[in-house]
Amino acid sequence: MHGNIFSKGLISLVAALFLIPLQGIAQDLSGREIMEKLEDNRRATSNSALSRMQLSTCKFGVREGKISCAERPRVKSLESVGKGYGVDLKDTRSVAILLDPPAERGIGMLSFVYDEGARDNETWLYLSALGRVKRIASGSSDDETEPGSMFGSEFTTEDQDTGKLDEYEINLLEETTEAGREVWKIETIPNEERARQSRYSRTVLYVDKERFVELRIEMYDQYGKEIKRMLGARVELMNGIWVARSTTIMNLVTNRLSNMAFLEMHTGIDVPDEFLTQRTLTDAAFRETELEKLRAQID
Amino acid sequence: MMKIKKFAGLGVVTLLTALNPAKAQDDVLVLDDDVQFDGDFAFDDDLFSSAFDGDSSANTSSWLDDFTIKISQQVSGQINNHGVEIAPGFSLPRQAELETNRLGVNIRYQNAFAPGWLLQASAQVRIYLNDDYQYRAEGGSIDIETRGNELFLQRSFDQHSIKLGRQTVVWGETSGNSVLDVINTTEFRDFNIIDIEDARLNQWMLVWDYFGEDSNFSSFVNLYPEFNPPAVRGSPFFFEPEFNITDYDRDSSLLFEAGTQWRKSFEGSDISFMVAYLFENQLRFEDPINQMGDAVAENNDFFLLGFSANRAIGKLLLNFDLAYSHDVLADSFNFPGTASLANPVNLKKDQIGTSMGFEYAISNDQSVSLGIQAQMLLDEDEGLLPGQSLLNDGVFGSWLMRYSNTLMNSDLDISWTLQGDLAANSLLALVGADYTINDNWAVGGQIIGIASNEESPLLFFAEDVRLSATVTYSF
Repeated sequence: MHGNIFSKGLISLVAALFLIPLQGIAQDLSGREIMEKLEDNRRATSNSALSRMQLSTCKFGVREGKISCAERPRVKSLESVGKGYGVDLKDTRSVAILLDPPAERGIGMLSFVYDEGARDNETWLYLSALGRVKRIASGSSDDETEPGSMFGSEFTTEDQDTGKLDEYEINLLEETTEAGREVWKIETIPNEERARQSRYSRTVLYVDKERFVELRIEMYDQYGKEIKRMLGARVELMNGIWVARSTTIMNLVTNRLSNMAFLEMHTGIDVPDEFLTQRTLTDAAFRETELEKLRAQID
Repeated sequence: MMKIKKFAGLGVVTLLTALNPAKAQDDVLVLDDDVQFDGDFAFDDDLFSSAFDGDSSANTSSWLDDFTIKISQQVSGQINNHGVEIAPGFSLPRQAELETNRLGVNIRYQNAFAPGWLLQASAQVRIYLNDDYQYRAEGGSIDIETRGNELFLQRSFDQHSIKLGRQTVVWGETSGNSVLDVINTTEFRDFNIIDIEDARLNQWMLVWDYFGEDSNFSSFVNLYPEFNPPAVRGSPFFFEPEFNITDYDRDSSLLFEAGTQWRKSFEGSDISFMVAYLFENQLRFEDPINQMGDAVAENNDFFLLGFSANRAIGKLLLNFDLAYSHDVLADSFNFPGTASLANPVNLKKDQIGTSMGFEYAISNDQSVSLGIQAQMLLDEDEGLLPGQSLLNDGVFGSWLMRYSNTLMNSDLDISWTLQGDLAANSLLALVGADYTINDNWAVGGQIIGIASNEESPLLFFAEDVRLSATVTYSF
């Protein structure tokens, strides 16, 4: 018992010794450096990872002064596998398979997200009714529209993107608090090239200073109007990575919101390259066998 | 055919139950679309806390999970009283009438029962109720039809996958009207099916896929090629033939089809090359010898060489298909009594065809697509007798345009489809709306209008307006 307390005390002391200078360093980080750390953290959640998520979407309204669903949310559950590629593993390949509702079971989406700004991300979808894999053109959008949504939710491929930081002006606006946590308030403004491919002309992020997780993101259109807001909650340490287990994105134009709940997230999974190919979308026998192997790594 | 009267009221029950959707949450002030969120607003994440309550349930599975069942009730009919002038001075009356009133059950089963193994099956049951055209064709009694669709066993190992059983093979990139989508037969039984995805029929095949590091091969062998089924008696597409049309008589001859496709993906693009030995899906019917007995169905084998590609440019996806067919029958669409060739001959020709188009995601909710299919017989006049002409001369084909828009939390899907032939002889316009009430219930409706001149086979349906409604329960 004493040993245990001693151990904890020692660990705390060591941690304190390390954290103090770390926090000192953190204070000196530039907006760009914070964004890089934030994105590293984001990528870590999908690198060699197997996740199970629930996606809920509804039209929202106000009840007793609080945002609330005005209708029963549409709920989809899905399983996702991802892995990092390229220089410093900054490109991500991932596959997401719908488990529920029954009518959509088996619909799969394969995504290649590239860090480099000049490379359009790629997406393929398998619809059993169509009988083949279909490439989805959703690499970019103009000012009036937005890129492809994730299984009909308010989360779009652009909202999930990482990388392409070179194409943004990044400004550290201030240090403030959000949801009771100390945060950096950072704005990102796309350059001309990126602006042509983004719906957002400006994004403001509130990044937890200790955990490098976004607690709030505001997205603005070309007229300076906030059109979307994302809120991160239930920030927990999962497999050594700080994760907002519940992320809600509100479309303030259509008054729809979607919540993504990370029910499970397992990192350090040995994901074979073959799994992140179109074969996983079409070959159900292969997919289920490989998924069982991935799940077995968790056990 | 079974005759069961008690099912007659089931459709009504289904309809009434569906009209009582899950109640929306009470006391919520629904905001206008132009509401401003200038400051902070209260959001409590507990709204979705229930998602984390049932974590353990994810591991509980049941054998029933392998089944997906869809029950649907559909009614449709022609609603425009009018006449069609099919010859000078001769008008065919077209009365408003109910055409379909049917209850359908679709069952799909997928079970990866062992590592590398998968069994997949699907089947449908149709119950034709009062005033359905098949009910009338059966002499006024309820008719039940069952059909097996998919049934295949799959074994995947290393870089290989082998599927044996009833299945479909889809080639080509252009959605809806690809010149390469000719492997499986189709059945357009009535105007409720106009999408090829719904009309494609499964066939008994062995399919071998090889997944290489940079490219894939997919090959198939079909040892029992089937042909497009003739129109069902009573359906809008059924016309009393001069001679009775029967199933194809296979005798003792062994028919087979085989083909292979090589596919490679590049950044922003996918390409495929394919080669196949096939039978034309549509049989040619000749008048019987001595003008007595049944019509004689003739098949025709041919070789197909194909190429397809797509290219994604931002939100635009370009599609392209090219097909070269060697030895297709120039008069294969002849029906007894309607032959344009006075004496059908085995006039085989080569044909080149292309389908191309684009899909554009206007926004998160809206998309538009266009596909144009054009074909041409090579040396079309060669072998024709004086005065003979082909059904299809010059460049012939069709075009297909679709627009879809999802609204109301993606619950409402509205689509517009326009379809016509390249010679501008006919136009089919469809407006459809599908509303998802919840994860189980959905309702849909569509209206189809047809315009045609005397050059098109759709002349018989000119000025027809059809309305349909469907209620679906899935679980």
